[in-house]
Amino acid sequence: MLKIAIKDLRLFISDRRALLMTFFMPIALISIFAMAFGGEHERNSRPVPLLVADLDKSTSTKDLITQLDSLKSLEVTVMPLDSAERLVKTGEQSAVLVFHKGFKDSMDAGGNIPIELEFDQSKAAEIGILQQALMSNLMRMIGSKMIMKKQMEKVDKQFGAVDPSILKNIHDEIEKSFAENGAQGGGNDNGVAMKLSPLIEEKQGNPGLIQAVAGTAVMMLLFGLVAMGAGMLEEKENGTLKKLLYAPINPSHILFGKMIASILVALLQLTVLFVYASFMFKLDLMLNLPALIVMMLTTSYACAGFGMFLASVAKSRQQVQMLSSLIVLTMSAIGGSMIPTFIMPEFMQKISMISINYWSIQGFYDIYWRSLPFTDPAFLMRPLVLVIIGTVMMSISLVFFRKNVLKLA
Amino acid sequence: MDMITVKDLKKSYDAQVALNGISFSIKEGEFYGLLGPNGAGKTTTISIISTIVEADEGTVTINGMDLNKNKIECKKIIGVVPQEIALYDKLSAYDNLLFWGSLYNVEKKLLAQRIEDTLHLLGLHDRRNDIIKTYSGGMKRRINIASALLHTPKILFMDEPTVGIDPQSRHLIFEVIEKLHKQGMTIVYTTHYMEEAERFCDRIGIIDKGEIISQGTLSELRDFSKMKESIVIRFAELNAEAEEKLKQNIVGEFTISDSSLVYYSGDIKSDLPKLIIKCGELGFVPTQIEIQKVNLETIFLKLTGKQLRD
Repeated sequence: MLKIAIKDLRLFISDRRALLMTFFMPIALISIFAMAFGGEHERNSRPVPLLVADLDKSTSTKDLITQLDSLKSLEVTVMPLDSAERLVKTGEQSAVLVFHKGFKDSMDAGGNIPIELEFDQSKAAEIGILQQALMSNLMRMIGSKMIMKKQMEKVDKQFGAVDPSILKNIHDEIEKSFAENGAQGGGNDNGVAMKLSPLIEEKQGNPGLIQAVAGTAVMMLLFGLVAMGAGMLEEKENGTLKKLLYAPINPSHILFGKMIASILVALLQLTVLFVYASFMFKLDLMLNLPALIVMMLTTSYACAGFGMFLASVAKSRQQVQMLSSLIVLTMSAIGGSMIPTFIMPEFMQKISMISINYWSIQGFYDIYWRSLPFTDPAFLMRPLVLVIIGTVMMSISLVFFRKNVLKLA
Repeated sequence: MDMITVKDLKKSYDAQVALNGISFSIKEGEFYGLLGPNGAGKTTTISIISTIVEADEGTVTINGMDLNKNKIECKKIIGVVPQEIALYDKLSAYDNLLFWGSLYNVEKKLLAQRIEDTLHLLGLHDRRNDIIKTYSGGMKRRINIASALLHTPKILFMDEPTVGIDPQSRHLIFEVIEKLHKQGMTIVYTTHYMEEAERFCDRIGIIDKGEIISQGTLSELRDFSKMKESIVIRFAELNAEAEEKLKQNIVGEFTISDSSLVYYSGDIKSDLPKLIIKCGELGFVPTQIEIQKVNLETIFLKLTGKQLRD
């Protein structure tokens, strides 16, 4: 019994794939997930980026923007409203704070303050932190200013007959007192409300659905197409690849033929998954059909290129299996298939851009969440990058195909 | 007219010399056997002529075309039956043949007709729609051959096409080979079975250590080897010391293997008594003495010093 156990352990130790899957892969995934979710803590400790559009351009708004900018928790960028809205719509920024025209007048009059936070609902975590920061700072600042104004008005009414220089002194004292209270974090928002407006309409339920469909589809596509690519190595092992080389065809056509088959299978797989999501979860396939087709095509192309790449680089099917488990799972973890990228810390969001998953999922987000039109450059960027990835992978595959797979003699 | 001409072909893999300047030519319609022990250079030679490996030096001409300059054209008139069964297990025999035939751009209707004919010829027509996975080894070999014939090549390379098959399949394959030969197809055949080479080959090239050591018809090879008959003397046991003793005391051409001494004789009447007396003098008692006519096996053994299956 002990001998069998020892033998099995020796076999296990000599199996590099088993070792990789048992130790390295879980450690890698734990690290990625920990960094992604650990981002919550990190996010709280680093400034949250906030776009500000000042349509009022008054002394009050300028003063408030300066005060906001001085806060450690915020990183303020002032820009025109349309540019800011575009950045939010394309997913590059989470929210824009808009000081509407008449802000100062309303504040002076003590009426409803025209201030609005336009945001991307898919970035719920970031918006939550932003709201918290704005409520505890901005609204307190506005509230304090309004109370100060009211108090000054009261003083003016009560002591209208007093010497103007004394009245000015009283005003200065009130202002000084509010400024000190404000700096110490005192005061409250005094019922001042900020309008919250999701900038992207909620047409398709929730981003979770798109995340689930696109994220899972891309990950499974990668696994499937790597297996298809590995078929090339199977052909090498059983002799059919050699027999193909006897035929009057260009050897590179073998690779291209396999690539076409992979793309067609990928397209079919994506179609089935999206149609399923349409029936089961009411995902509207017609929302932006041209964009959806382009995303499916380019995702299939990039994934097929990746499958070919892996099969060409590897020297055996076992090696493909080992590499695919390692690379596909890692790419899916960092690229947003397992965890949405928007809940990851910024550095991980940047890293995620090296994965096929990221560009594909973001493209589907553009269609279903951000509602970007087909011609929008921000959307077109996603399929373009996927085409580049696919082409680069395919070119490398061709080189390795000649070097590794064709070495038959 | 020469269908294949090979001149000074050289090929090395790293420091290992696989072919050391071999030359030979094969006439149109000729059945040429390429024989040699394992690692002699047969596969490399066939791989170069069938275009999948490039030679370091030398030239190959196929049907008057320079192979290096007309690869695709040469491939069109070549059919290869590889040693391994190179078929798609999950496809039916018919679909396999349809695929392999389509690679040679055979017109669809003509291809379908040829598939039907070939399946009939190989006795597998009734199983044409079964997937290859369900076939026996011999049946797979037959389909393996069929897949190389659909474009009616002028030259057919057959690399040990009868390895590990049942008698029925072997018989059917032999019939097909003979039929193809009669039709005028040029066939290059490698085998480990001497009886196959003797039965089919018009000429035989014996290759060893990357060189053609002899080639010609069976009769020419016999003359070349200067052998008429061989005397096979078997002993109960021959250890290394005994083998050495025999080697030092027996005069003439002979080999010793598997406790047997094979003596290549030019004059059996004179050589046989001398050998028996010498063995007695040395203290070896033969368990069996056999006189063999010179066949390809003995010629091969004499020329290469190895059994064909070595």
